[in-house]
Amino acid sequence: MILAGLVVLVVVAAIKTFTLPAEAGPGELSRYTADTWRSFIIGGLSEGAVLALIALGYSLVYGILRMINFAHGEVFMMGAFASYFVADRFSDNDFLSSSPAIAMIVILAVAIGVSVLVAILLERVCYRPLRNAPRLVPLITAIGASLFLQNTARGFFGPQARGYPQPDFLDGSWNLLSFDIARIDLVMIVVSIVLVAILDYFVSSTRTGRSMRAVALDADIAKLMGIDVDRVIVTTFAIGGVLAGVAGVMFAMRFEQISFTTGFRPGIAAFTAAVLGGIGSIRGAALGALLVGLLRSLGPALLVGFNIPSVFQLEDAITFLVLVFVLLYRPGGLLGSAAAEKL
Amino acid sequence: MPAPLARAWKPALIAGIVVVYVSAVGLIEQFAEVYAIGTQVSLARVLLLLPLFLAGWVATRTTVERGERKVLAMPQAALSGAVTGLVGGAMVSIVLLAVDAIDPDTIGEVLIAVSTKLLGIVSFDQSLGTGIVLWLVLGAVVGALGGVVRALSPGARRVVLAGPLTIGVLAILQRVVSTAIKELGFRPDFLYDSKTSGLTWAGGIAAAVIVTLAVVGRDVLRSRPEAAAAPAARPAAASTGLGGFTTRQLVQGAVAIIAVLALPWVIGTALSGTVGTVMIFILLGLGLNIVVGFAGLLDLGYVAFFAFGAYATALLTGAQVNTTDGAGDPAFSLGLNFYVAIPIVVLLAAGVGLLVGSPVLRLRGDYLAIVTLGLGEVVSTLVTSKWAEGLVGGPQGMRDITGGDIGPTDFQNNPRHFYYLALVFVLLALYTSWRLQYSRVGRAWNAMREDEQVADAMGISTTRYKLLAFATGGAIGSLGGALLAIQLGSLTPRSFDVNVSILALAVVILGGLGSLRGVMVGSLALVGLPGFLREFEEFRPLALGAVIIAIMLLRPQGILPNVRVTEDIADEDRDQDAWARAAAGQPATETSAVEPA
Repeated sequence: MILAGLVVLVVVAAIKTFTLPAEAGPGELSRYTADTWRSFIIGGLSEGAVLALIALGYSLVYGILRMINFAHGEVFMMGAFASYFVADRFSDNDFLSSSPAIAMIVILAVAIGVSVLVAILLERVCYRPLRNAPRLVPLITAIGASLFLQNTARGFFGPQARGYPQPDFLDGSWNLLSFDIARIDLVMIVVSIVLVAILDYFVSSTRTGRSMRAVALDADIAKLMGIDVDRVIVTTFAIGGVLAGVAGVMFAMRFEQISFTTGFRPGIAAFTAAVLGGIGSIRGAALGALLVGLLRSLGPALLVGFNIPSVFQLEDAITFLVLVFVLLYRPGGLLGSAAAEKL
Repeated sequence: MPAPLARAWKPALIAGIVVVYVSAVGLIEQFAEVYAIGTQVSLARVLLLLPLFLAGWVATRTTVERGERKVLAMPQAALSGAVTGLVGGAMVSIVLLAVDAIDPDTIGEVLIAVSTKLLGIVSFDQSLGTGIVLWLVLGAVVGALGGVVRALSPGARRVVLAGPLTIGVLAILQRVVSTAIKELGFRPDFLYDSKTSGLTWAGGIAAAVIVTLAVVGRDVLRSRPEAAAAPAARPAAASTGLGGFTTRQLVQGAVAIIAVLALPWVIGTALSGTVGTVMIFILLGLGLNIVVGFAGLLDLGYVAFFAFGAYATALLTGAQVNTTDGAGDPAFSLGLNFYVAIPIVVLLAAGVGLLVGSPVLRLRGDYLAIVTLGLGEVVSTLVTSKWAEGLVGGPQGMRDITGGDIGPTDFQNNPRHFYYLALVFVLLALYTSWRLQYSRVGRAWNAMREDEQVADAMGISTTRYKLLAFATGGAIGSLGGALLAIQLGSLTPRSFDVNVSILALAVVILGGLGSLRGVMVGSLALVGLPGFLREFEEFRPLALGAVIIAIMLLRPQGILPNVRVTEDIADEDRDQDAWARAAAGQPATETSAVEPA
């Protein structure tokens, strides 16, 4: 039912996009021109791209530990925030425009490094001692860790939001197939697709990936087969950290802003995406993120006809409602299967 | 590596990191001017040295070798503690040198708390060189103290710690205690310095000595053979007073009742307001305790009931919404009397509980938590949105909430009056929780929390009892909301964000899941303390996070555990001995993490 609803929504949006005239016509949906709809869709896709990278972090950890790493949104925020200081310095001394490639590599390296560090510390300090505890215990710990990390960032870096510089080469837009797409959006989508593809290959075809799947299937048996379970779990958290670091930089550059609360809402949206796609599944997380991104960007616009004032404040409410309905009616997610029994 | 060093480096490293962390996160500067005793001992300095004390304590732990417990002898303990403290102090010194070499103000561009001023505070207001010497010396001394205290017998430890703990409590509660002394008609000068508002040396030491003597005296009395025999004989000897209570219990009860009734007149108006807020969170904690502690359903959207109670009370008693040009009538409103409105609000909240509960019945554990978090966020998004402007004022909120006053009382402007109203509500909720706990319903929740499938198989309708938990919990939470509406007289949606849910959860967890006393202590510590010690307010969320993690890692049953819940946790431990061992930090064969309460 949910699936059908989503498909209808996307199809409607797509048809509207390509059939509406360039100028506003009569009728309820007429407030937006075809160009506006296109920009909604592209905005949704690029948000979905970031969400996919965060969602994978939730999904991988859930697959292996069967726990929601509630603090993953904070991992994302910490990396982005730490890289802000490098990016800001590079922007001040024009390094970002004179040699953007090196600058971007350094910024990404800092973000990834910090995110991975936070993710590994989180696992080591908060989750490893509780690995066999009743299920609620690590979850509550994760909530505490989220609060702790958020306010650590507040104490370390200050309560105010900072303007994150956007490099010149990502400013402006490219003309693609007769319509304009903002460079940053296109880069985000491409980077995300590449990373998801690499991860998919990594998990399905490498030795480490195989041990990850083995641990996800049955940690005890995997241990008996000679797999170092602790190392696999740390690797999983580290991979989540890498993806979150990249996502953090892209997110901060897209919205040109970072603050200590940045992690919370994208975190929840990404978790929704992971559940929607089927938690534990890589392709599912990517698909779910795409749908959630589109929904967040198109949903309010589609509701405009209902005369709800300030409908764009409701995108979080829409996300949560989707989450609730998915969990109620298809807890396994779109591409998940057996997860439902384990609820 | 020599034995003390081998034991020392890990606790010392952690202590060093903690010292650097609390400095970098801004806590130290915040507390630099809050004095515990005189001008020499500020809370910042206590905070700086406490980690080293604890490191010395941890490093001197008893070890188990081949099933034998090895307790360190006193000189060894002192040595091991001193080495740990010294290593910890050295680590802090290295960081200080590094910060000084790079220039603190440059670092301050990234870590905003770091500055030349902070470097001075952490160097104990001396030059860097002297500061480092002090760190090494004080580190060794404090660490050795930690080791020595650890090696003492429990009785001796109690005596030794009584004095410092008294000073600590008096220092943290300096505003409460000095106001109380003033309200009682004395001058607090003998105890508190009016300039620093911390303890005076004479007063602090006197208080510490008195409490220490009291502890010693009690221990001596107890250890006398005739006194030791007395408790067994007492039930027969003691005159049973009214209703089967012993005289002693009656006296204790009377003292407690008088203390609770007199509290707002002792602590002054401003602090009464803080206590009022504490009571609101006791209500939230009690309600959430039913859902999480009794029934085992982790609800992260509990703020929804809080918001519902507040807004429903406002609407039913005829409050106005704020608009951009003054106040307006909400889309729906009744002009009921507060006491007529309250039962309606509670019933409606129970209905909302059913409404929220019924769709999520099928979900368990972490999924339930996320869905309720989502529902809570939906509620606060909707209340804030312009969509709801006509009904509840949207982002502007509501005002002119009145009612509840009987005769001369003024709940809104007089926190003392409000205290009594809140007290009635809290007692009501306490009684309900207490009765439920030991009723058939309570036992059913208990069974359900332990093992849902087994409970189901034993004929307990889990659906019914889950819904009942949501409804009861929601009703009690809405009482908290109603109180908030009365206390503030106006509402803004900012009071109802996810942090309220997490604060309520932390209140329940700190005290211990399922423990009614625990809820009160948790609320006092997490809501009251920031009110009593204003400098702490800014760091409350950080402390909440740390408290939640620490409790879950070290003492998942909470500080005042509910015996029954603790037994359940202990049961799980037996199955999951690996976790129990890790939590206790002990190798095999020792007792589990949970001591029988």
